[in-house]
Amino acid sequence: MNTTKRIVAAGLVAVVLTLIGVLGVAHAQSAPMTDDQITRIKANCTSAKNTLNQLHASDALLRVNRGQIYESMSTKLMIRFNDRVSSNRLNADDLVTVTQTYTATLTTFRLDYQAYEEQLSKALNIDCSKEPVAFYDAVASSRTKRTQVHTDVVKLHQHIDDYKLTVDSFELAFNAKGTN
Amino acid sequence: MDDHTTDEAADLTFWGRHRVMLMIGLSIVVAMMLVGVSLALYASSGAAQLDLSRPGYRAVSDQAENGDGGFENYSASGTIDQKSINEFQSIYDKQATKARAVDAFSGDPLNPDALEISAQTTTE
Repeated sequence: MNTTKRIVAAGLVAVVLTLIGVLGVAHAQSAPMTDDQITRIKANCTSAKNTLNQLHASDALLRVNRGQIYESMSTKLMIRFNDRVSSNRLNADDLVTVTQTYTATLTTFRLDYQAYEEQLSKALNIDCSKEPVAFYDAVASSRTKRTQVHTDVVKLHQHIDDYKLTVDSFELAFNAKGTN
Repeated sequence: MDDHTTDEAADLTFWGRHRVMLMIGLSIVVAMMLVGVSLALYASSGAAQLDLSRPGYRAVSDQAENGDGGFENYSASGTIDQKSINEFQSIYDKQATKARAVDAFSGDPLNPDALEISAQTTTE
């Protein structure tokens, strides 16, 4: 009985290990790379790295300059207007809600940019003439992360518009209250 | 006098006799630990991503906007009336236009085709 249990347990372990191995290989081969492509990566290694280096620098500049503007929209305009409305004992709930959503998106933008920059740095540190597959995968991952950063930027722009609409609604309510 | 000094030196332990070296060694260890913590914070906080003085960013560092780039502040105190709302809307519209002016991180510069590392072979 004891021996049977051991055999069953060993069998289960073997099945699990096999599954892990198969899944790992399947993942690694999700984007099979041909010899031609590997040759192409090695041949264009220098030019690809130059392009990545330029992108790395220009995106960093973009992050600094755009980040300052996005930060200021929140700290120098939204939060200040909300405070002023609240200090006048008027309802600023909707304004605060949009500001909180904007701030949360701004935090996500910062984190996503950080993840993207770290991934791009990893790609830049890979010697593509020696590890073309790893380089390709790192670039692909950077590409996905950069797309996410752009999605965050689009969301931030949307929230900036939302806040304007909320201020317009506040103005209407304020004037309606004044006329009553 | 000299004999007395020699006796005192003989009474000291090994670490007592090398206390200056010990202090220097400990100072170096503490300094290294603090540098390690600082670097870890620098990397994990996202400050590294904003540091354009790093190697590789020198070419673009002078293009970074210093200060607030002429961003107008809105006063957080004062009464709320039509005039103050109009004032806010005027400032907000101006800055919002500036914020939305650039579709940052758009495009697809990391496309394998653009980098010429895709599977696609060049046609001749």
